[in-house]
Amino acid sequence: MISRREIKTHLNTPPRFDDMFLSLMAAPRLPKAMVKEIRRVVAIARKFNHSVVRPYALELDRKMQENPGFLPWDFVEKANEWGFYTMWIPKIFGGKGYSMPSLSYFMEEIGSACLAMANLIGVHYLGLASLSAAWNMKIMKRLCADVVDGEASRTPCLISLAITEPGAGTDVEEIELADRGNITCHAERVAGGYKLNGTKIFISNGHLSKWHIVIAYADLKKPSETTVSLAVKTGTPGFSFGRKERKMGQKGCPASELIFKDCFVPDELVLIDADQMSGFKRPVRESAMQMIHYVTAGTRAGVAAFAAGAARGAFEEALAFASQTRVEDKLLINHEWAQCLLAEMYKNYALSRLSYIESNYANGLYGSFRELQKKPMYYYYKLTPAGWLRKMFSSLMEKPAMTRIYRKMQMDGQTDAEILRTSGWGSLAKFAATDLGIKNCHLALEMMGQAGLRQDRRVEKILRDAKLLQIYEGTNQLNRLNLFNCLIAPDYPQAVVFDE
Amino acid sequence: MIPGQDKELRLLDRASAEFAKKELRPAREENDKYPFGPFFDAVLEKAYSLDFFNLMLPEAQGGMGRGIQSLCVILYNLCQEDASLGGIIFTHAASQQVLLSAGAESLLKPTAADTAKTSLIAFPSFNNPGEVEPAVTAYKNSGGHLLSGSVEYLVLGGIAAKALIPARIEGKPGYSFFLTDLSHPGIQKSQPVLSLGLHACPAVDITLQKVNATLVGAEGGGDRYFNAMADQMHLAAAAMAAGIMKGSFKEAFDYCKAREQGGRKIINWSEMKMILADMALRVKCAEMMISRACLSADRREKGWEPCARAANLWVCAAACGLTTDGIQLLGGVGYMKDFGQEKRFRDAAQVQSLLGIARMKKIKFIEAMMR
Ligand SMILES: Cc1cc2nc3c(=O)[nH]c(=O)nc-3n(C[C@H](O)[C@H](O)[C@H](O)COP(=O)(O)OP(=O)(O)OC[C@H]3O[C@@H](n4cnc5c(N)ncnc54)[C@H](O)[C@@H]3O)c2cc1C
Repeated sequence: MISRREIKTHLNTPPRFDDMFLSLMAAPRLPKAMVKEIRRVVAIARKFNHSVVRPYALELDRKMQENPGFLPWDFVEKANEWGFYTMWIPKIFGGKGYSMPSLSYFMEEIGSACLAMANLIGVHYLGLASLSAAWNMKIMKRLCADVVDGEASRTPCLISLAITEPGAGTDVEEIELADRGNITCHAERVAGGYKLNGTKIFISNGHLSKWHIVIAYADLKKPSETTVSLAVKTGTPGFSFGRKERKMGQKGCPASELIFKDCFVPDELVLIDADQMSGFKRPVRESAMQMIHYVTAGTRAGVAAFAAGAARGAFEEALAFASQTRVEDKLLINHEWAQCLLAEMYKNYALSRLSYIESNYANGLYGSFRELQKKPMYYYYKLTPAGWLRKMFSSLMEKPAMTRIYRKMQMDGQTDAEILRTSGWGSLAKFAATDLGIKNCHLALEMMGQAGLRQDRRVEKILRDAKLLQIYEGTNQLNRLNLFNCLIAPDYPQAVVFDE
Repeated sequence: MIPGQDKELRLLDRASAEFAKKELRPAREENDKYPFGPFFDAVLEKAYSLDFFNLMLPEAQGGMGRGIQSLCVILYNLCQEDASLGGIIFTHAASQQVLLSAGAESLLKPTAADTAKTSLIAFPSFNNPGEVEPAVTAYKNSGGHLLSGSVEYLVLGGIAAKALIPARIEGKPGYSFFLTDLSHPGIQKSQPVLSLGLHACPAVDITLQKVNATLVGAEGGGDRYFNAMADQMHLAAAAMAAGIMKGSFKEAFDYCKAREQGGRKIINWSEMKMILADMALRVKCAEMMISRACLSADRREKGWEPCARAANLWVCAAACGLTTDGIQLLGGVGYMKDFGQEKRFRDAAQVQSLLGIARMKKIKFIEAMMR
């Protein structure tokens, strides 16, 4: 009826089978133990919500309104005590080695109770994702060791990502725009390292982090070809904190200004620069964009998981209200319109979840999760005692050859189609879920009337918190354009993006 | 809002727009800190001295005897800069309208010695007592009535001298309104309730124990008076939402003309134009809709009530969507306190709940048409 060649042709005709049915392709390849692991992670998150997040979320929000200068070290210390800052660090680096997709499920749970607290944990992994995108094994080992030590010594060591600048937000998320923008964070090559000058703004967890992955540029006229990724430690001479933003929501999670004035970063903390990128199979400019895709494909799915949490939190509050409140002498939950509205809200949060799960599948098949999700690797790392692994790999990590091998595998090993598929799905999940998150908050308010307006009923806080999700990790507009660029435009050679 | 040719209305339009720019805009962020910052007493008193509070009160009662259009013009202008003062004026006007529809105007005579604080009447203006049953019971005693129970989210309850409270009279159907003195020793007030928006239009929860109160109008007439008030005041809430929309649009428009990304002003990216166009369209439609509905209401044209309610439902929903975009167009800075956008986003969602649960207002709207 149909030949093999025909099958291939038909499935490669847009919309391509491989772009569409990620879960179908991924499910049979999943290690079985991952399901058990995710169940465990969700249970841990729920326990943490019950004992730490819920009892403190409203109080922290209130505290921040009263005293915007407060830094939530108390919460960060608790999260550190529970082991959350090392839970998703691979065992070879001393972490607990939980699989990356399980982080999203965890984030949805925490996000459903408090998005600020979810961010206080989740942004650390944005920092780690940016750290690992350079595949500089020696520096990864060093920073991860700091995080692990921080857990043991009860002095939390968090990692932030600093890319946004006062004049460039969208422009630093897309290489096409970078060269036309007003980028000012300069990394000047000097003997033994880089001299960093410039300002980064809105950096989540900035004031709380010990390490900052800073993206700067060696030539401000050609940022796209001179991206430099640096690890900068708090306390480094020439680096200081500026203002702490006064935000509408997610108040518990600081957004900081980072100021660099002739800040010297030695070579041993240079994660990657154009020289090193020139060893990749793609031109430097494309490699720089690949790194952005590589990170955001995973972290945007993470934002979608936060958003699923927000959509769910709003639903849960509306449901609780409807089941306790009499309206026109009848419990609200027994008004048909309310039942349909609750069903709509349930659908919204379920769809948000499906979007991040699908995006995670893309990353498992073609992106940053691929390596550790292959069954043999997964079980090898899972079953081998952590001490052995560290012993085996510790000195290897110091060798430049390891960095070269990993870069070859991770960067050169990804095809263009795979880069676009993972990034496109990351964007889809991000803007779909975050729009639904806001939608559910508005629907909850429409149902709850004056009760919804009170901070002590939580929905108003969820609305304030959730709005940020439509903005960071690239605005939802940029993410729509990225989806177009990645999943639609490739089949239309006449389509040009960012050039109207 | 379109003030038309009415001279007095044009004066009010100008005066309120100027007041908003001079008195509200510069201190918007400071005033929004309440209850963690000081309350804007001085601004409130200034607004009171300009007669913004007694616009719709008949001249015989010492008011200006204006219609709903005048109130809407003022609220529209004020809320472009800061909707909290609008919330205070709204709540006070709602109390006045309930008293007027109950024929209790004698309880409403402002005197020259009055200040805003002595004359304001607190009111649970985000609740329709016909939907969510009042938790206060009134008992008859020799001098009048005694109230016991609790009221959630009594707007202005922490700053006003009097309150208009819905309560059930023991053994009687429906509910009734009572005017009571908030300094009565039987009243316990909470701290200001921390809320989504309109921070400087604060609310408190109160409990009452055997508090003397004066019945307003007839026993069991509460629903009738509330609805008569709401018919008009739906337009006032819509005008507040429209003002917030206008303020959000203006701020976004100006920002997009100044901010550059990708080597050009962001207003020159066509997706930005598209969003701005959607915002501008909604502002224009809201302005036209409210202006027309006000005219209809003030002339008491046949069927003016559903027009007012339709305007409220459409404009308030549009304001929630528009102010979400209003932040979005500013990117990260839109989320910060430095610009007014985040406040407008919160205020719009708050205003949507004035006079009761938004979805129930829709049900009421269609049920009225079915009758
Ligand atoms: C609370 C908070 C926390 C944050 N945390 C971090 C962090 O930890 N690390 C970090 O590096 N950054 C962080 N950010 C920054 C965030 O990623 C940026 O705010 C975001 O990328 C948008 O950039 P911008 O704010 O400069 O907006 P702009 O880029 O100036 O955008 C303004 C508007 O223009 C639109 N626009 C811009 N360019 C185009 C175009 N080409 N086509 C169409 N529309 C366009 C945008 O969609 C937006 O609507 C955070 C931001 C906030 C608010």
